[in-house]
Amino acid sequence: MARLANRVAVQLFRRLPWLGDLWAARRSFVEGGGIPWAPLRRPLAQCTVSLVTTAGVHVTGDTPFDMRDRTGDATFRVIPTGTPAAAMTITHDYYDHSAADRDINVVLPVDRLREAHTAGRVGGVGQRMYSFMGHVNGRHVKTLLEVTAPQVARQLVEDGADAVVMTPA
Amino acid sequence: MGLVQRAVEAAGIPTVGVTLNRSVTARVRPPRAVFLRYPFGHPMGEPLAVAQQTAILEDLLRTLETAGPGTIVEPGYIWKRHRFA
Repeated sequence: MARLANRVAVQLFRRLPWLGDLWAARRSFVEGGGIPWAPLRRPLAQCTVSLVTTAGVHVTGDTPFDMRDRTGDATFRVIPTGTPAAAMTITHDYYDHSAADRDINVVLPVDRLREAHTAGRVGGVGQRMYSFMGHVNGRHVKTLLEVTAPQVARQLVEDGADAVVMTPA
Repeated sequence: MGLVQRAVEAAGIPTVGVTLNRSVTARVRPPRAVFLRYPFGHPMGEPLAVAQQTAILEDLLRTLETAGPGTIVEPGYIWKRHRFA
């Protein structure tokens, strides 16, 4: 029943964009103070660009995101960049991912980034992609801020990422 | 998503993100964002629409190259109406 109600809500939010604004106005967010800033160090044609998404994508067979905890899940999954689209799946009940199920590039533009690399627009594609499930509330916010987001940031540094493109659900 | 973006930027890596909700982004304040008036679940546009996805990626890359702190770029594409080359 709860899942059915959730499915209805997902469709309403998809079709009525102003609902999203209403939702945003009523809930609290961890609001940014100063804006962290790292300038681009070299031309993009010489940069390794990595992808991070919060659309709940993961390798099929990897542990799915936790949909039973109503306050969400602050963990992340690593997706090797060479993973074929057929070997990826989405676990995220809080948005309609039927379009992304047909074409993963709707939420994770890996083929488009590879093409940009082939065209010489970017210097390289990060070897690993990182994926969160964007529904993170309650105690999970602290975990995200203090543990998992910094962990992904460190791994991106290890990967040699010079820039990161992020996509939500 | 903005929180993850801020953490990555704080680690020294420039970031840019798509946002589908301008009011949330204005509050979370990620370093650079591209705002699209698109339905949730479609940050890169429609499925199998290669020209559209390529254009959005190019908007993101250009934002990385040109935007200053807190910029929200708005390309102004109209969902399912804009003609991508």
